[in-house]
Amino acid sequence: MFFKLNPTTGQPLYLQLMQQIRHAAETGALQDGEQLPGIRTLAEELVVSPNTIAKAYSELEHDGILELRHGSGAFLTVRRRTRSLIDHVQVARRRLRDLIERLREEGLLDEEIRRAFEAELLYPAEIVGKR
Amino acid sequence: MLWYKGWLETRSRFLTCLIVLTAFCGVFVHYAQGFVRPEWSRDFYRLLSIAQEYVVIIWIMSVVLLGMGGLVREMATGTSSLTLSLPVSRAHLLSVRVAVGVLEAITLGVVPWATIFLVSSAGGMPVQFQQVGFYVLLLVGGGLVYFAMAVLVSSLVEGEYTAPAVAFGLVFLAAILFDVWLRSFNLWRLVTGDFYIDRNTYLLPRHFPWKGTAASLVVAASMLIASIRILKEREF
Amino acid sequence: MTNTPVILTRDLTKSYASLKAVQGLNLSVEPNCITAFLGQNGAGKSTTIKMLLGMIRPSSGDGTVLGKRITDAGENREMRRKVAYVAENKPLYGYMSVEQTVRFASSFYPDWRTDVANRLLSQYKLPHRRKVKSLSKGMRTKLALLLAFARRPDLLILDEPSEGLDPVGIEHLLQTLVAQSAEGVSIFFSSHQIAEVERIADHVCILDNGRLLVNASLDRLRQSYRRIDLVFPFPPPEREFRIVGVEKIRINGNEMSVFASMNSEAVVERARNLKVVSVEVAPVGLRDIFLETVKEN
Repeated sequence: MFFKLNPTTGQPLYLQLMQQIRHAAETGALQDGEQLPGIRTLAEELVVSPNTIAKAYSELEHDGILELRHGSGAFLTVRRRTRSLIDHVQVARRRLRDLIERLREEGLLDEEIRRAFEAELLYPAEIVGKR
Repeated sequence: MLWYKGWLETRSRFLTCLIVLTAFCGVFVHYAQGFVRPEWSRDFYRLLSIAQEYVVIIWIMSVVLLGMGGLVREMATGTSSLTLSLPVSRAHLLSVRVAVGVLEAITLGVVPWATIFLVSSAGGMPVQFQQVGFYVLLLVGGGLVYFAMAVLVSSLVEGEYTAPAVAFGLVFLAAILFDVWLRSFNLWRLVTGDFYIDRNTYLLPRHFPWKGTAASLVVAASMLIASIRILKEREF
Repeated sequence: MTNTPVILTRDLTKSYASLKAVQGLNLSVEPNCITAFLGQNGAGKSTTIKMLLGMIRPSSGDGTVLGKRITDAGENREMRRKVAYVAENKPLYGYMSVEQTVRFASSFYPDWRTDVANRLLSQYKLPHRRKVKSLSKGMRTKLALLLAFARRPDLLILDEPSEGLDPVGIEHLLQTLVAQSAEGVSIFFSSHQIAEVERIADHVCILDNGRLLVNASLDRLRQSYRRIDLVFPFPPPEREFRIVGVEKIRINGNEMSVFASMNSEAVVERARNLKVVSVEVAPVGLRDIFLETVKEN
């Protein structure tokens, strides 16, 4: 399992880690019931503060994705999210693929597309709703 | 392990001075014996009192050298942050340094005179033990004030080379002052025994000058206490 | 576990004849966190640290470290038993060998861990018998840091720890800091290496001219600071954008660049209400946050 945290993207590292763990769970890189690295181990490997790892694990436990067993470590919960969520993500990605193809046909460069996505993503949900 | 640190810091200075003093005494007595044979006691003891004068000069220079160092010097060499971050008080740091210095100063007084005693005994003209003891006590009891002065200077004066310059300067200044002004308080003549020596026999008298030595030690102690207070106030 | 700050200062001030090195510092460093202390040379970082450790007396104000008053010599000494500190110049006694240095340091601290010391000695490849004065600068830096890392203190204070280390050494340093933090050691370090700080710090304090300008969690800074680049069909009305959170505005013709420490959504909304042609919102890295904050001051 390879995680990569980027300190300069404007997104807290623990959120990035949470996303990447979710992604790993959805794509099957992490199996149900599998154990994640300990907080200290992962912190040393990624060279980030252990508080980042701890917060990510704690939030994921709150969301029902992880189970933190005292003394043993963090495990992907067995009674996990249903297949429908995996489908959900796969459908979204297909839609994105179509959109990107269309934008490319309209003449936008990949870099411009990426920047536009990032700019839009930085708006919190409220503003998007207002438009 | 502050004692160990103090030893490591003064080891070279101490051993060099010890060797110089001991060698000087051994050689001096050996030739003195040859000079005054067979047994011209008075001349022999006169030569010994001259030896003491040289011993005193070298001893005073040595203990002033040993008194150098400490936190203020460490500021110049860059290690004061390390020493001051240790969980020990500044008074403790200075006290250990002083204790190491005092022990070395005593050794520098005892060993040369022990050498004189041994060499003279080996040569068949043993010095009276009482005389040896007298000279040593005078040297250390009266002379430690020079060590204390050096410690005080090292707590006040910054700069690796400025502090010894000031300390040695003060030694010379004191020598001149004592000679010109404070004749009756002449520390030099106390330490060398010049005050008390009997000009006929060149022997030191039976009664040890406790008052003079005590006064000198009190001054030494006050200087050391002053050094501690100065160090406590200082900023690093 | 109590949440009393490991370092807490109240209006800490240090003035010298001609300048104020530290002015009214109110620092609060949380336990079990990695807190970075940023500032230019001469900003007052080292002076602050020295006041905390009793080497310098504050002109006014007070503080505690691990709950012990910094201005009380006895309490400060007691506190130093549980604090590991490595000064910027990585001080070591030149006349001691590596072995003697380690033995010397270990004798003062009950939290010394011999197994860790031995592991680090071989990991850093430090020759046991060599005198410190004969070591290379990199080796001296590693030894000085080893004296702190071979302990399990409550608080680790480091002044520019990565100075004198090559990139591999810096990586080891960061991993060691992270490992120490995982064991419950609170870490307070000053650094010029903003990239390194950005990777491992939980919390950031920015000091400039003796004043604390920023004291926030790095995550909050990441989420709040934004650079908003706007293009209008006319020269942009600057005063419309002087709202809460906007730190700096730069205008070039019809283009406007807004640097905001928070409230970036309000800036975007105002821009849209003013018929903006192009909006680009970008995150701001710690280096830019630091530079802009310090320049403003």
